[in-house]
Amino acid sequence: MNSIDIFDGITDIRDDLIDGAKTGSGKKKQHFKKRWFAAVAAILVLAILTGIFLRPENALTAYAIAQAKYPEMAPYPGEPHSQRAYEAWWEDVKAQRRDLGDTSSLRSFFAQSARVFLTDTQGQNKICSPLNIYMALAMLAQLTDGESREQILTLLGSDSMDALRKQASDVWNSNYRDDGALTSILAASVWLNENVNFRQETMDILAQEFYASSYRGKMGSQEFNRALQEWLNEQTGGLLKEQAGNIEMDSETILALATTVYLKAKWAHEFFEKNTAPRTFHSPAGDVETDFMYQRYDQTYFWGNRFAAVCQTFEEGGSMWFLLPDEGVTPEDLLSDEEAMDFLFNKNKWENQKFLFVNKYIPKFDVSSQFDLADGLQEMGITDIFDLALSDFTSMTTDVPEPVILSQANHAARVVIDEEGCTAAAFTVMLGAGAAMPPDEEVDFILDRPFLFCITGDSGLPMFVGVVNYPAGS
Amino acid sequence: MDDLAIIELYHRREEKAIAESDKKYGTMCRSIALRLLGLRQDAEECVNDTWFAAWNKMPPERPGSLGAYLGRITRNLSVSRWRRDHAHKRYDGMEILLSELEDCVPSPNTVEKDMARQQLAQSISAWLDNLESEDRWLFIRRYWYGDPVNVLAAELGKQANSCSQRLLRLRKNLQAYLESKGVEL
Repeated sequence: MNSIDIFDGITDIRDDLIDGAKTGSGKKKQHFKKRWFAAVAAILVLAILTGIFLRPENALTAYAIAQAKYPEMAPYPGEPHSQRAYEAWWEDVKAQRRDLGDTSSLRSFFAQSARVFLTDTQGQNKICSPLNIYMALAMLAQLTDGESREQILTLLGSDSMDALRKQASDVWNSNYRDDGALTSILAASVWLNENVNFRQETMDILAQEFYASSYRGKMGSQEFNRALQEWLNEQTGGLLKEQAGNIEMDSETILALATTVYLKAKWAHEFFEKNTAPRTFHSPAGDVETDFMYQRYDQTYFWGNRFAAVCQTFEEGGSMWFLLPDEGVTPEDLLSDEEAMDFLFNKNKWENQKFLFVNKYIPKFDVSSQFDLADGLQEMGITDIFDLALSDFTSMTTDVPEPVILSQANHAARVVIDEEGCTAAAFTVMLGAGAAMPPDEEVDFILDRPFLFCITGDSGLPMFVGVVNYPAGS
Repeated sequence: MDDLAIIELYHRREEKAIAESDKKYGTMCRSIALRLLGLRQDAEECVNDTWFAAWNKMPPERPGSLGAYLGRITRNLSVSRWRRDHAHKRYDGMEILLSELEDCVPSPNTVEKDMARQQLAQSISAWLDNLESEDRWLFIRRYWYGDPVNVLAAELGKQANSCSQRLLRLRKNLQAYLESKGVEL
């Protein structure tokens, strides 16, 4: 027997030993499913959007008038599993898949919304969910008519309401997964004033095509506000409790629209906790000490004229991209940089990439933001629904004496990352940077100054995009 | 994508299986091949061969751990390539003659050989089971994944020299264990 025989013997050691050493501290890992549930929120990202409309009236408690029914999914079978359990689960996973066809108009909207909503950070963290805003706008299109609807269709690049309904339904389904192993849900609800008669047909369409439940109650009452806040907290795992507490419907409200995105995922390659150490982050207001995770991995490294980027994948599909602007370039500069936006939203084929060892230093962060979408939506051409003289919500109701307008469009999001969970944001320290090619074998990627991140789901669509100026939160 | 879903793609003969394998395990397989072969181009070819081999093996095979399964194929292909290159590049006199003359040798008893390899793997697995978790992790990372010692040392927050000493102790310990089990060394 020689060393080659020993090599071969080691090659054939048991699978669980190999898997157990895949990541982590060397402690033997448990089976996948147990591991999953034991991991506390590797990444928790979510967003809420509410649109609140004007109009008077009074009283009663919330109750559902149309209930969305989510697809039922067989639970992830785990290991060991029976063939039947596996087949059942696999059939359900396949049933959720949709061919999204040409997504260029979608991607164009995502790029435009990231640019419009994230540019004005005023030195703070700012996050938005392009996917969430898309779903909210698609629902708004269903509630409106005439030019109000046309403006939304134009922005989303749809020819007709039928086409948009189909696309929104496909987007919803292709991002839905709730099988005990992965949670990815776009949830929506409509909150109606009990004194106004709404078109039941429209509410039914919202339930069937947009998976949105409708509730009706007394606007301005504590109970109804609490019901909405509880719904938001439930959909977002309580992560946006503070922001949800700020959402209130007053007695003038005719309807409130709430949509949420919730994603929970683990890094495919976890970071070692013992490698996490404090480093300096150069925030806009000055240097701060924060914990940086470290990982050395051979992977693809990307670069453009004004940025460098790496990708960190999730165990169950999807990934987080970190874009580090070159020295002297800000994240906001990249948001208006055509090449960077092209990279972020259309990066199927990117020439400037190289496979090499990357020393990644990524700050742990917990960032959130909350802002009104109204100005941004108007900048993108959605103006009529904000104008008393022009708004047209006749698809929703004709039962109000005065016009209905969109009075508030509140968007909140939070992204948390740690060693187990994934997420995004990368800062490169490519000294000198620019469009220079990285060295042959190894490069440092240090996110120690403001950077951009983008989280994509398994469908490849951007669930979250954000600018991080302060990793520890503003 | 989930492992079970990728395996299902192989069984349904959908080429997406290869793209999904590469997406999920390409980095790991490239890293194993690169560390064994040292040349990026060779490593890349080896990884491509891994997908091809997996495509031919599934169906009928349905591995319990896809990562271990693909990594194992990469290791086997890498060592085969290394043996071939080793013979051709470094010993192109006697080694090539011997390797050619191997054609004259009656076929080895592959069943017996496979059994010996399996028994050895079982013994090593049993030995690994009895190690402290950090030692087990260190040994597998070094000798299965092929991670460099300095990288492992950094991961453990130790000096490279201390890691090398620890690996030496583990190798000696394995030797003693295998001898005690009657494995001829």
